[in-house]
Amino acid sequence: MTVGVYRVAGMACGHCERFVTEQIERIPGVTGVAVDVELDTVTVTSDRPLDVGEVRAAVEEAGYELP
Amino acid sequence: MRALDGTDPRQFIADFFTSFMADLVRGDEDTALVVDRYHTPDIVQIADGSRMDRAKLIAHARPAQKHQPDARWEVHEALADGDRIAARYTLHFQNRKREGSVEVHFFGEFADDGRMRRAHLLTRTLPVRPTSAPPPPEAPADGQVPA
Repeated sequence: MTVGVYRVAGMACGHCERFVTEQIERIPGVTGVAVDVELDTVTVTSDRPLDVGEVRAAVEEAGYELP
Repeated sequence: MRALDGTDPRQFIADFFTSFMADLVRGDEDTALVVDRYHTPDIVQIADGSRMDRAKLIAHARPAQKHQPDARWEVHEALADGDRIAARYTLHFQNRKREGSVEVHFFGEFADDGRMRRAHLLTRTLPVRPTSAPPPPEAPADGQVPA
């Protein structure tokens, strides 16, 4: 199991959390997503190492940014 | 943007959010400039328990541009008391990926020039109504009253 913590800018409420979670969960191998809106972080659990580019693409697809 | 004083609070809230989002989506200005035009520098918004100051509001405005390019605020009721407004409204949004509605209970405070100074929001995502849902049953004919 692999756990990665990413900083995501622009999240502010439960809707932001849902948008980001939905997109990251679509990455193959992802088994869990935990968003902390207050800390601007997303913790991603996966059954394989993830490329940061995959996570960045998912976050940007949701409308947010990995600074 | 106009001052709250003397205006219908229901119209004020609808105009405030509609105009703010229109300026954001137009995209010909820096996001921070638009946020500052509608909010005082000491703005604090607490949405569903999450606190947003000016910096966080600016960061949030960028994704909001993408999520709500076609947004509509349906204000159900609003009450004003001095520089404060309590309102209940539904935000309807649509973009290329999703559409939906969010019910909002809002308490806000505004400066004399109409900028938002403080807001507390409780929100609830409304279930999406399927577009292929069957029409509601027809009303009884000839004035019959159902039991």
